[in-house]
Amino acid sequence: MINGKRLQKGLAILFSLILVFGLAACMSKESKDTPVNANSNANANSGTKSNNGGTGGSGGEVTVNADEPAWKLDTSPVELTWFVGASWYGHTWGDNLASQHVTEKTGVQVKLEVPSGDANEYITLAMTTGQLPDIITLGSWENAVKKLWEGGHVYALNELAEQYDPYFFKVAGDGTLKWYRQPDGNTYAIPNDSYSPNLMRETGMNAANQTFLVRKDLYEDMGRPDLTTPEGFLNALQLLKDRYSTYKGQPMSPFFAQGNVQYGMTEYLQNLLAVPHEKDGKVYDRITDPDYVTWLKTFRTAYERGLINVDFLVDSDTQVEEKTNNARYFMMIREWTGMTAVNPMLAASENPDSYYIAVDGPRNSRGEQAKLFPGNMDGWMVTMVSKSTRHPDRAIRFLTYLVSEEGQRDLFLGKEGETWEMMNGKPQLKPEMVQLLETDIEKLEKQYGIVDTYWMLRNPVIVNQWRPEKPAVIKQMEDFANRQADIDGAIYKNLDPTGESDAAVAWLRISQNWLEVMPELITAKDEATFDKIFQDFLDRREAYGFQKVMEHRQAELDARKAKMGQ
Amino acid sequence: MSKTGRIKAFVKQWQLQSMVIPGIVWMFIFCYIPMFWLIIAFMDYNIARPMLESPFVGLKHFEEFLADERFWRSIRNTLGMSTIKLVLGFPIPILFALLLNEIRQVKFKRTVQTISYLPHFIAWTIFGGITLNWLGEGGVVNQLMMGLGLQDREILYISDPKYFWWIVYFSDTLKEMGWSAIIYIAAISGIDPALYEAAEIDGASRWQRMWHITIQGIRPTIAILFILAVSGLLGSNFDQIFMLKNNMNLKMAESLDLYIYNMGLVSGRHSFSTAVLFARSIVALALLLLANQASKRLTGEGIF
Repeated sequence: MINGKRLQKGLAILFSLILVFGLAACMSKESKDTPVNANSNANANSGTKSNNGGTGGSGGEVTVNADEPAWKLDTSPVELTWFVGASWYGHTWGDNLASQHVTEKTGVQVKLEVPSGDANEYITLAMTTGQLPDIITLGSWENAVKKLWEGGHVYALNELAEQYDPYFFKVAGDGTLKWYRQPDGNTYAIPNDSYSPNLMRETGMNAANQTFLVRKDLYEDMGRPDLTTPEGFLNALQLLKDRYSTYKGQPMSPFFAQGNVQYGMTEYLQNLLAVPHEKDGKVYDRITDPDYVTWLKTFRTAYERGLINVDFLVDSDTQVEEKTNNARYFMMIREWTGMTAVNPMLAASENPDSYYIAVDGPRNSRGEQAKLFPGNMDGWMVTMVSKSTRHPDRAIRFLTYLVSEEGQRDLFLGKEGETWEMMNGKPQLKPEMVQLLETDIEKLEKQYGIVDTYWMLRNPVIVNQWRPEKPAVIKQMEDFANRQADIDGAIYKNLDPTGESDAAVAWLRISQNWLEVMPELITAKDEATFDKIFQDFLDRREAYGFQKVMEHRQAELDARKAKMGQ
Repeated sequence: MSKTGRIKAFVKQWQLQSMVIPGIVWMFIFCYIPMFWLIIAFMDYNIARPMLESPFVGLKHFEEFLADERFWRSIRNTLGMSTIKLVLGFPIPILFALLLNEIRQVKFKRTVQTISYLPHFIAWTIFGGITLNWLGEGGVVNQLMMGLGLQDREILYISDPKYFWWIVYFSDTLKEMGWSAIIYIAAISGIDPALYEAAEIDGASRWQRMWHITIQGIRPTIAILFILAVSGLLGSNFDQIFMLKNNMNLKMAESLDLYIYNMGLVSGRHSFSTAVLFARSIVALALLLLANQASKRLTGEGIF
């Protein structure tokens, strides 16, 4: 009997535990499921590419005209869910002037959704359930993008456009459509911030944002030291340690690299050193480049002498933010676009010279100027229409409208007379908006929703003509990056294999290992140890199957060249 | 009780019995149905295709991770962190509950209890950030250690792999101690007060009462939670480790969960991830049975 009682008690505890965990699980499931709109659709799972005429959309039978935007045919209210694959994206639709204006005009009420964590995972999960948001915007590099296409989860935009809104072909830009055209002849996505090399050459516009930054007052106080050679670099660090080791009572952090090992200390640093991507038509193994290795050794020396710490390899985003806001970094390998809020703030602080300027950073042994990534055809994020949508007609028309000059203007400038007006035949933001852009971007985006609030389909060629002149402390960095942009380098971005092929798995293991090896290199106790760690890495890399990775890169590059030549 | 008697009793209590149905349904949907899909561990599953159309590849994925030295490193780390948590962490909520139980002043007791379990409600994303700040160059930990003269300069604790297991242990204890104690406090409050009164009359000291009544009274609870803790040896707190890990301490920080994340989920290798998880579940089941047996022998308590 005693045993029975004990068992009962035990079971009671066990069940209460199960209940507690069960509830917790239910709750988290629920919160994850709610954002996906319950717009299940008969077509959601049909993997065929045949066009479904009777999708239940309204106004599907109206004749369409290739010279007229079709959104005007139907402006009845409709709600579309729009997934934006960026967890940091904090804007809503309908609470500000620009979005209200667009909704009023087109009848489309947008429900914006953002992932709470990784966007790729979110969409992958949604794919298994077959319930996707109506419109999906994802980073062009995410591997879920390819899966959406291959799995037939999204509409071919060209087919949708032919059926519902041929005006799309007029405004989407033949170049980008061609760039994203798949072997089956269809284009499933449309990018934002996409730059073709020809466009960059013609207009001088590019999306280069990589810069090497230093804190202006210290740099000038030191007499603008040369940072392009290892010796000069180390001397400047020594000077910093001797003379400026603290700032406002806190220790200075001599160095920072954005994106840690995987970006700042690898690809980005290699760009600063103008390490080639290709030699004699063959993809080049940039990591073994002598100049790059020399500079890694320079960082090792700096660490050994106590001139830099490893904080830049371990700090969390918040810690980095805090140091940046207090101007506690001396040098930074950092994109200027991440400094647009901080720099004006520092320039307006009690120490107005404590902001950051772009200068020549590490250079290769030949002293060549940096070759920075200029932005490319891939663009930043791509937007697709999912087959789960009940309104494919309205979705494609809405996208067409947004990529057209009219839509770009409505989202970037807002409403005529309220946020912008015609001056000399050119639309221009009102002075108070420009003022707000400089002093309180948050308010500008929250209240008016203009400029860069809704960037999902932003076309730089169109909107940059309306962009007000940037403050000098930002323009300096931007100009510096633009001057060193390597227009022909665009084609080399993301050549690495992704997915589950042998080459992709090999590359995954290699790149994951590199994340750990790099800090070991920098903290190695002497150069011999450095060499040994590096050699061990190269051997391991071979064992993991690096050869396959190189073959993949070569094939990918050749394919791109062929596409560009078309 | 005869069989028909049981059925009769069951029918008689149908209102009570039906309460358990949602739980069973839940278990079936979320625990048993997903088990079927373990099948993708033996396939080259591609999310873009219907689930059962993927090709079978047998034990390919199992072979792959068993041959990966990084997998074994993650096993070592998981076991290391779990063992510290089990050996040094398991008794702490029990001690805490016992101490709280001895406090006679109700107001003080309640305040301490509330404050101690509040951190549980802070998500690891936030608590991890706080921990990182405390451990930073100018953080409290460094200031304290330097103030006490235990170190002469600031140490970046988070960059040195050798501290990592301890950081995980201490931060977890700090956050979860009060919450874990609740179940013991509940168990203690279920003990018949008459036992204490009788013991007091018989001249038992406070220590004796604690040992002979309180601890004996919550023994089943301790046993069950211990068995569950052992079966969770191969699990780790993903949120916590994900927040605290970085490229420099990954050597000691990459737990099995993080390994699955880094080598599987990040690049969408679902079959591979499932295979690792499958293997882990088998080991966890073995551990559970082992712990149950051991507990039955030693304390006479077990789950089944």
